[in-house]
Amino acid sequence: MRHAPPLTRRFWRFLFTCLLIWIFTLATALPVFAFEQPEELLIGIEPEHNIFDQMQRYRYLADYLSDQLGIKVKLTIMSRYGEVIKRFKTLRLQGAFLTSYTATMGIKELQLEPLVNPVNLLGESKSQGFIFVRKDSDIRSMNDMRGGSIVFVDPASMEGYLFPLSFLQQHGVKDINAYFSRYFFSGSHASAVFAVLDGRADIGSAKSTAYYQLIQNDPSIGPELEILAQSPKVPEVTLCIKTEIAQDLRERLAGVLLHMDQTPDGKKVLQQFKALRFVKSSKEDFTIIEKMAQEALGSLTVHGK
Amino acid sequence: MTGDIPYYGAIHEAFVNEINKRSAGEEKIEIVLQRPFPNSISWSNAARKLIAFDVDLIVTYGSPAALAVIHEKSSIPLVYAGFYEPEEVAINSKYATGCGFKVPLSSILRYFKRVKDVNSLGVVFSSIEEDSVRQFDTMKRLTEQQGIKIAKMDIQAQSDLDKLKTQQSDVVFITGSSLAHLWLDDLVTILEKQQVPVADIFPDENEAGVLMTLFQPSDTQGEMAAEMAWQILTGTRPADLATQTFRDTELVFNLIEAKRLGINFPIQLLIEATRVIE
Repeated sequence: MRHAPPLTRRFWRFLFTCLLIWIFTLATALPVFAFEQPEELLIGIEPEHNIFDQMQRYRYLADYLSDQLGIKVKLTIMSRYGEVIKRFKTLRLQGAFLTSYTATMGIKELQLEPLVNPVNLLGESKSQGFIFVRKDSDIRSMNDMRGGSIVFVDPASMEGYLFPLSFLQQHGVKDINAYFSRYFFSGSHASAVFAVLDGRADIGSAKSTAYYQLIQNDPSIGPELEILAQSPKVPEVTLCIKTEIAQDLRERLAGVLLHMDQTPDGKKVLQQFKALRFVKSSKEDFTIIEKMAQEALGSLTVHGK
Repeated sequence: MTGDIPYYGAIHEAFVNEINKRSAGEEKIEIVLQRPFPNSISWSNAARKLIAFDVDLIVTYGSPAALAVIHEKSSIPLVYAGFYEPEEVAINSKYATGCGFKVPLSSILRYFKRVKDVNSLGVVFSSIEEDSVRQFDTMKRLTEQQGIKIAKMDIQAQSDLDKLKTQQSDVVFITGSSLAHLWLDDLVTILEKQQVPVADIFPDENEAGVLMTLFQPSDTQGEMAAEMAWQILTGTRPADLATQTFRDTELVFNLIEAKRLGINFPIQLLIEATRVIE
């Protein structure tokens, strides 16, 4: 038996230690590159006007997705529009159904992937911002708006804040505090419409889909309002998913949603979800919102938060 | 005043405060207040009295009082306030100007429908009050469009309140009638016994008996009337002052009343309220 000289033993020990360190480093670094195969998918939802009705609608969809994907899909309501990005992190969400402005923020800040958009019962997957007044008011132009009261929806709403703000700026309004007697946030698109209908605000902003939905439910509303301006169309709601989720799972999720209008079970769930089908989404749909935010707010941010 | 009711009283209070502010340091303005019983003869008598006093300016609250003054064809300047939709009435006098208000009555109907199935609407109005009649007509047009039956509840005397005891409407709307508001407590007591939800376009001072109110805050009209009055007293001609209609409103839900009626206000409806009485 031959003993290795001390120098050679030290060399082998050194090499072995280096190898251990390398393996450890590789092992700890691996999750950064590897795709998550979660045991369940936790999907966030932004609150709408009727949160109970909304949860019920999304529950049908979550149950269907759980069946189709073989993985539990759970839902959670994310408190407010503007807190979505923060909630995405704290709630450890894998995805969320986001309205256009928060989706734009999620894509930019959290590198979320926009997967699909639901097409509503009126055949629209996109919505646009409206600025409207009561028809019997004397307001028909920017000048008529001076000194009135205006209702926005939420600082993190494209249709209910970013668009009207951008519109007002384009028409020379530098300071809404000075231009209007009062402005306030209604918290929902429907509330903004009701505020103008009641006379609690002279001018309102809201998304077209909510506006038309209210008119469909109560046709007496339509003739009472006048739309003064409208924004370009943007995706109303987008399912955005973390890119860390395994590619295979993301593709299966998109596939199930995009094809569910072709199966009887899927059609039934779509009916309960109050949508006709899902269509594919793309990052390009959100470019216009980022541009509008840059112009109106200086950056893509939630104003006032 | 068209009638001695809290809404006009509040407009008057705001008017007095504002005019006193504007005239501070000047000769004190003497105010003669007439509170006629709401009927044509009393309005006419009140108008004639003020004209006989040879006052510098007449201020009225409510359209019947304003129209009574205009009818006298006096050259004394008139500033009206609390006038419902003044642009809807042909005011043919170069000596008259003022401000008024509009409440979207369609909203009242809409909110009723969100808390209860509405197949019939009772409207409390007074056929001798011009503004109250116009409000009834508007409600009539709206209910016809929506296939809802309307029941007239014309109040000209206190004894007319008895008619309400046999009313069968699902909900009742009280127009801005001075007579109805003069006897509001009696009126809501009768309707309370019938478990009927009531809405009003004047604030419910006692906060009892009326389920919802959608009204124009009185102080802005009082202040505007004072500004117009001050300008006229300092030389501006009434014809040079444009009339103004205030359309801002406040919506108040009375949850105590809702509970009594067994009505469960949906949360998405409650958030619309400017104020909730609990």
